[in-house]
Amino acid sequence: MKGMTVIVKTISSWVKMLVFLFGIYIILFGHITPGGGFAGGVILACSYVLIMLAFGREYAEENLSLKLASKLDCTGALIFIGIALIGFLYGGFSFFYNFIQQEYLADKDTAFHLISAGTIPLSNIAIGLKVGASLFLVLLLLSAFRLGESPEKEN
Amino acid sequence: MLYAMCFLLFIIGLYCVLVKKNMVKIVLGIVIMEYAVNLFLIMLGYRSGGIAPIVGQDEYTSGLVDASFIQASVDPLPQALVLTAIVISLGSLALMISICIRTYERYGTFDITQIRRLKG
Repeated sequence: MKGMTVIVKTISSWVKMLVFLFGIYIILFGHITPGGGFAGGVILACSYVLIMLAFGREYAEENLSLKLASKLDCTGALIFIGIALIGFLYGGFSFFYNFIQQEYLADKDTAFHLISAGTIPLSNIAIGLKVGASLFLVLLLLSAFRLGESPEKEN
Repeated sequence: MLYAMCFLLFIIGLYCVLVKKNMVKIVLGIVIMEYAVNLFLIMLGYRSGGIAPIVGQDEYTSGLVDASFIQASVDPLPQALVLTAIVISLGSLALMISICIRTYERYGTFDITQIRRLKG
């Protein structure tokens, strides 16, 4: 049986969704509280690292495969550059122009709400996808290195 | 005094890189040097008794952010710089660790004085 003991597996199966939910919270509230895309993405990757440590690498790879993780990685980068380019086109040729909502600071009612900062939450979501998937990929590949499994070992 | 301690931490990392022969210890020395520089940058923006430079709901509804808020808060620019530096050091640390693992697969040792054979 791969992974750790049954105590660790039970506790981590309770905790993993809480950690994932906390990462999503940090990403979505990144523009009004401390945190943001990078910190939330690291927490998302940490929930998968918890699964990887408790249940073994194969179980984590069944949940989030290498191909899907690399696709999420590229999707985050493309969303981020897309937001930047749309701002470039709509905002008088200034990069990362906040094209959705520019006057939110003048309005005291909508400031500090969840939807109040234009493109900044979208950028946070993109960075969270990128950081979470790529950090998961880094740790998965570092744990995948084993002695004797190298493909160029024979030559 | 604190800056001198920071410099001492950097010197410890530099000693570790220059003297040690184990590749993993060299990687640890590089990481210690990065953390010394990060600590130095954070301490440049520190102000004793300062508040966090975050404009919350209370500061916003009581009017615009005035000069006393700016006088009391710590400098946020080195913190943003150090956050970026931490991300980059994470990426370079993963690269260095994977280079160490591949080298150990090829040569069977971490000692840099024994990694001399050219194999292609």
